Amino acid sequence: MSNPDEQTTGANPTIRLIGLGETGVKLVETLAMIAPEGVEAYSLDTDNRSLSRCHQSQPFLLGQAIPCGLGTGGDSALARAAVESDNDELAEIVRGADLVFVVAGMGGGTGTGAAPFLANLAKEAGALVVGVAATPFDCEGIQRCNQATGGLRDLKQVADVVFHFPNQDVILMEGDDIALNQALDIANRHLCEAVLGVSRMLLEPGMLNVSFADLQASVRGRHSLGSVVHVEASGEDRADDAVRKLLAHPAARGGETLREASSLLLHLSGGDVTMAEMNAVTLAIRNHSSTAKFVVGVSGQGRGEALQMTVVIAHAGKLAGADQGSSPPKPDQTGQASDLGYSDSFTVPDAGSYLDLGKGSDGKNRSGFAYTPPAPTAGALTPECREDLIRVAAKEEPNRTKRRKIVQELLPLEIVSKGRFEKSEPTIHKGEDLDEPTYIRRGAVLN
Amino acid sequence: MSASHIIVGLEIGTSKVCVAVGEVSENQVVNIIGLGQAKSRGVRKGEIIDVALAEEDVRNAIVEAEQVADVEIRSVFLGVTGSHVRGFNNTGVHPVVSADREITSADIQDVIKNAKAINLPTDHSVIHVIRQHFRVDGQDGVLNPEGMLGAKVEVDVHVVSGRYNRLQNPIRLVNGLHLEVNNISSSALASSLAVLNTEQKELGTLVIDLGAGVTEYAVYSAGVIKHTGVLAVGGDHVSNDLAYGLKVPLARAEQIKIDHGSAVINPGARDRKIDLSDDSPIPGRQINLGHMQKIMSMRLQETFGLIAKDIGQAGLIEYLRAGVVLCGGGARIPHITKLARDVFKLPVGIGRASTVSGVKNALDEPEFATPVGLIKFGVFQAQATPRRGGIGRVIRRQVAALFGR
Repeated sequence: MSNPDEQTTGANPTIRLIGLGETGVKLVETLAMIAPEGVEAYSLDTDNRSLSRCHQSQPFLLGQAIPCGLGTGGDSALARAAVESDNDELAEIVRGADLVFVVAGMGGGTGTGAAPFLANLAKEAGALVVGVAATPFDCEGIQRCNQATGGLRDLKQVADVVFHFPNQDVILMEGDDIALNQALDIANRHLCEAVLGVSRMLLEPGMLNVSFADLQASVRGRHSLGSVVHVEASGEDRADDAVRKLLAHPAARGGETLREASSLLLHLSGGDVTMAEMNAVTLAIRNHSSTAKFVVGVSGQGRGEALQMTVVIAHAGKLAGADQGSSPPKPDQTGQASDLGYSDSFTVPDAGSYLDLGKGSDGKNRSGFAYTPPAPTAGALTPECREDLIRVAAKEEPNRTKRRKIVQELLPLEIVSKGRFEKSEPTIHKGEDLDEPTYIRRGAVLN
Repeated sequence: MSASHIIVGLEIGTSKVCVAVGEVSENQVVNIIGLGQAKSRGVRKGEIIDVALAEEDVRNAIVEAEQVADVEIRSVFLGVTGSHVRGFNNTGVHPVVSADREITSADIQDVIKNAKAINLPTDHSVIHVIRQHFRVDGQDGVLNPEGMLGAKVEVDVHVVSGRYNRLQNPIRLVNGLHLEVNNISSSALASSLAVLNTEQKELGTLVIDLGAGVTEYAVYSAGVIKHTGVLAVGGDHVSNDLAYGLKVPLARAEQIKIDHGSAVINPGARDRKIDLSDDSPIPGRQINLGHMQKIMSMRLQETFGLIAKDIGQAGLIEYLRAGVVLCGGGARIPHITKLARDVFKLPVGIGRASTVSGVKNALDEPEFATPVGLIKFGVFQAQATPRRGGIGRVIRRQVAALFGR
């Protein structure tokens, strides 16, 4: 689209689905089976074994020279090296795409290390890059979680938007006595829904269209975490039901993410969507998010009587070099590890985002990008030089922030009164106000 | 010293003002001859917030004690508490300079002086400096090094300090009633003096005084105080939680707590309801007993949990071989020992002032531990001789400096 040399086929945008690492490959395999017509799927891994199971997608072995098809064993630096050695082939894969989904499980080696690099390549090729990432369960260990958080951050810095689903959310939704394979199924389903929902939104012929341009306008260059919520409801009051399910979805966080969203793309499909249903749904969503840019699409197709609703929630991230901690409208959805927790291998992202920005100067400057002088190559970066760059970046940050929407803070509905201790000196112990009833601080439910 | 003399302990607590009158016979046996108490209205979290009300309450309690004991009270030992009171350990070192290396009493005074040279915040002043053990040339556990040979004497002390102004408030109040304050003591120390016997102090015991406004605790091990602490959370917080959680007035919550309270959730309580319709404007108003006990249990569990954590951090939990002793009004909550046993994983008992004789009433009730303990504190002070001063002499000098007397 942004690349004039490439011819896009027909009216539909070219969508490529690239799975990285074991999780990514599995997801892409599943997706390739059920994805709408016109989505091209690729499976990339450093491990021959996982690729040998690919039937639906085009497999590609990363790093034939370095890990020799044996996997990286959780070493993201090795994955990065592998993927860099295959630079040209990978550039070929992403060439000409309008929308690239980079699907990866964070926390391992290949997904964590290769996804940011591939996303960067896709971006250079002019595509809109959507990262789809799963992060591990908390019980998989702090190191893996840190690696995942770092990978997610790296991916976020190059991809336009990252749809992220923490596996831990499954436990939140279903309770912890769920079987592991079921839990993984649910996590996978959510990620698949994210990809399918978006591709369906763009590809299905609709009565009201959500176009590729709409998606692009809401996520391009934001480098933020977004979410896709896909719900299905049938029966008499399927609209209300769908809204209920939407709000109950972990990614919606009871409507909180809707409130913080900068733009929302809503897509409804299903047999005979009535005006009343449309009204009900849009009204309910508007209630939660009055300031966000809002696009509605409706298509007639669908599976039987069920009403399928896909909502893409995008946040107003910074336009470039966004850092997770400094943009208030989006919560740290990983909920784990702070910046201190990142392992050393994730000190690269600064350089990464600079490299990415620098590439904008070779004539492929895209909308939303201010001109930034080309950065020195990673090899030429002396430590002092790096320091300088970081300092300059830190200074420039405020000017480059997107105009932030002013959203009025909501007062908490329940104001916890301290009763007789209202006026007395508060008893603060390790940051906790002990004057507040314990059962409220502990979140005990009385019913 | 007369054949017997009177020592009075006064505690200005959050829920009640309590005065205990003790008669000390010439062989230092303490006999409690009178008690006076009044409902306290001017105190929150152990500290005075309304001087006029508190003064009136103290006066009432003193008058009652005077009538019961048939004595005239002229001076009192005063218990002080509050969130500002804190305890910590310190060490003093002193080289023995005399030619024959014999440790003299001057050396001991010097080493204690060194131990007292603490960097306190400017608004803090010392309440107690309690000797723990001496060390002579690294030899640990020396109780009295005088006369021993050595090159270096060290002493471990436990220091209790508080904000000067906030310590002065109750003292000024008592002085305003034309009563003299002999000395002040932290309530945690006083309670522990009342309820512990020597054996418990040697074995290692944690004393928790569950007051209305504050919860105080002290750890004894090897016969000396190792750790003290004050948590500004108490029975008032339980009532307040209940009032908030059950949506009833505070006074009513207090009454429900006394009538139906429990430190653990009774299995049968979940489905039981308490009818409040007799004094509620809403007919048929009921509250769930299970909720009530849950709110209460969570608060108490948290309080014990915080203490357990603090003592665990001080590394003392292993030394509590005689377990935990509870006193104060909170010790009367049903099943409180069970809850404490669950939290501390130690044997738990209710403290009784067993080391004094006298009015039965005063000795059986855990909430009189502090005033009775203050009397014992007074006795120790009177006993204190320059050589084996213990707490007394050290404190007297401190207090003299503190209050300019």
